Amino acid sequence: MKHRGKGIGCMWYPIGFTVAANPSAATVKVNEDGTATLLTGTVETGQGSLTVLGQIAAEELGISTEDVHVVSADTDATPMDTGAIASRTTYVTGNAIQLAAERAKNILFEVAAPMLGVRPDQLEARDRKIQVKGYPQSALPVGEVANHAQNGAGTPAIGSASYNPPTVAMDPETGQGKPFSTYVYATQIAEVEVDDETGEVQVIRIAAAHDCGTAINPMLVEGQVQGGISMGVGMALEEEMLFDDQGRQINPNLTNYIMPTSLDMPHIDVDIVENFDPTGPFGAKGVGEPTAVATSAAILNAVYDAVGVRVPNLPATSEKVLAAIKAKRNADPKRVSAS
Amino acid sequence: MDEKVKVADRGKTLEDLKQTDADLRLPSVVEPAHFPIETLAPEARQQTPAVGQRATRPDGRLHGLGQTKYIDDITFPNMLHAKIKRAGIAAALIKSIDTSEAEKMPGVMAVLTGNEIPVNSFGPSYQDQPVLAYERVFHAGDGVAAVAALTEQIAVEALDKIKVEYEPIEAVFDPMLAMQEDAPKVHPPHDNVYATKAIKKGDVEKGFAEADKIFEGRFSTQMIEHVPLEPHASIAEWDGNGRVTLWSSLGRITLGRADISRTLNMPINKIRIVGTVVGGNFGGKNEITTEPVLALLSKKTGRPVKMIYSREEEFIASTTRHPFIMDYKTGVMNDGRIVARKVRLVLDGGAYCSWSETTLGKACILSAGPYNIDNLHVEAFCTYTNKTMAGAMRGFGAPQVCFAYESHMDDIAHDLGIDPLEIRMLNAFEEGSLSPTGQVLQSVVVKESLQTAAERFGWKEFSK
Repeated sequence: MKHRGKGIGCMWYPIGFTVAANPSAATVKVNEDGTATLLTGTVETGQGSLTVLGQIAAEELGISTEDVHVVSADTDATPMDTGAIASRTTYVTGNAIQLAAERAKNILFEVAAPMLGVRPDQLEARDRKIQVKGYPQSALPVGEVANHAQNGAGTPAIGSASYNPPTVAMDPETGQGKPFSTYVYATQIAEVEVDDETGEVQVIRIAAAHDCGTAINPMLVEGQVQGGISMGVGMALEEEMLFDDQGRQINPNLTNYIMPTSLDMPHIDVDIVENFDPTGPFGAKGVGEPTAVATSAAILNAVYDAVGVRVPNLPATSEKVLAAIKAKRNADPKRVSAS
Repeated sequence: MDEKVKVADRGKTLEDLKQTDADLRLPSVVEPAHFPIETLAPEARQQTPAVGQRATRPDGRLHGLGQTKYIDDITFPNMLHAKIKRAGIAAALIKSIDTSEAEKMPGVMAVLTGNEIPVNSFGPSYQDQPVLAYERVFHAGDGVAAVAALTEQIAVEALDKIKVEYEPIEAVFDPMLAMQEDAPKVHPPHDNVYATKAIKKGDVEKGFAEADKIFEGRFSTQMIEHVPLEPHASIAEWDGNGRVTLWSSLGRITLGRADISRTLNMPINKIRIVGTVVGGNFGGKNEITTEPVLALLSKKTGRPVKMIYSREEEFIASTTRHPFIMDYKTGVMNDGRIVARKVRLVLDGGAYCSWSETTLGKACILSAGPYNIDNLHVEAFCTYTNKTMAGAMRGFGAPQVCFAYESHMDDIAHDLGIDPLEIRMLNAFEEGSLSPTGQVLQSVVVKESLQTAAERFGWKEFSK
């Protein structure tokens, strides 16, 4: 007989390294037509981080994502970066990029101010224009200003900056300190179906509500959540590296190391919890790793709700779930079916 | 129609053949389809303001067309292919390595062993990992020799001709056994437990004394592989000017360059790393693997050298997710409020430290969950075993402890007869809550995330 159950996994997760410095540097160059080139030492590892970083530079310069070309990952050409680790790219590299773009923008403001007859601090960059705050009719295309900056004033609009999250060392005895600048929070709720004759667990759906501060690109946040959940499903139910008694792996291949395929994936509803972190670029924090944290907890709690058995050692393979159901039946023979 | 038949009847001219050929060929990069753009809104990536847009990726088209160039797709003139011989024994002293038969094979251009590596060790916290094992084997996936050959197949065959003589030594695979005094030492003279962390907040014993009920549980998790679609891959080219360029699937090129500089004992400015498009990282590509080996093989041969891990190597020779053993003891009041918690974590770090210290630290800090607990004591240990090393993996210990604290939470809720959602709402962090390390938390939305997910899921309405 099949039983349905629901379970919650709730979590928190930090952004960046534990206390240790993990700086990023960035350079933003505004071209003479108002497009821009961003130099970053981070690596695109498939998550879409370069798109997000381009959006951050674009936002600061008042231009579109398409207007920013991102050059990344060449130690000869790009500034140092601690890299694609610790869910830090949007927050740490993003902060460096925002600062670099601001410096380039300030050069544009210096050049545009006399052209518009105002002070530089009266200007803003929006919709591909440098315009007077509160009086957008007085504006110049960003390309015209950038061209004048480079070829007229002789001050090309290039900005460089770095950022490192502020932390306070932890006491070695008590662990008291400020190891991270900020954290994100999330809840995932799973519905499962458990077959009490085979122990098989099917994850039906997961509702995932994730905080990432401002979602710079909601589509990429959703992609991260879906990917993280796939890893969580594998951790909960299937994946396990096994060793023989001589310490040699016995399933180092994708035939015998079972991981979720698209057919094992539940229906996923992603909600981005509205939030704004004043220390992040445009309020953003991060989302990469946290998406894989709460899934296995939610699934195993749903199994508990469905059939009343707790599997305390992952992965909860069908064999383990069935053994737990049988043990429960033997301990409580009057109850025909579990839960 | 008639016209075409006539053409066919006449027999094809050269021009016809050229046209037919052109019709059959697909362009190597398909041009974007031309829609009447003036009738459509601009794409998200063309709009301002940029933040908040569902902008598509600039590399999306080539990904979609399957035409993105990964290292497997990159080739250089005269490029060689490398392979690494794996120990296949978990703990041993290496008595001798004989590469002479392999070197005689036609097509084998160079062989490399650990003694030829200027500084044969690396690692982000402790430099306890040999690039190629030379005196001692620490786990079965250790590399003991590398071959560069004209083809990958020749390199694979050459590995069989390399004779390594091992003297087996006592190994330890269970982290709890490894922690015992008399356990065989993985890295003598060092203890197997190489990292410990603790968090103390409030008075945990006083908290337990005040609690209405105390719950205990032990939870454990398994070793997991990252399984990126693209395995670890690199190409090295040592040029005549004495600079080495590495095209690599590394996720952290700045650190990678420093590690390569250290192992090759050469200045950083003589090393260039180009991070290629990476086919999945998940934490597994945060450290160098074969890069120094390929650089030295390229130096020996004067030719570019490529190596891509086989899927088996990806399992046995790259980092993994730490198995955890987690003991939880929690004191609660009858209304569900948590007043004290004690946590003990044991991490199986495998043969090398890698990112274990960081994983241990994060797991320690996060292990109490996103809940206000005034009295907390966490102690955590990481130990060597003669198994594949654990390292960075998406979540750095958080998925393991989350599984434990959330399973434990539901056990408590069930026993007290409190709804799992309610007990979490009761204990959750709020804006300004103090973290286990005494940090004032900001932009906290635990309760909002609980409510949002519960609403989306239909938590209250759900019936089995």
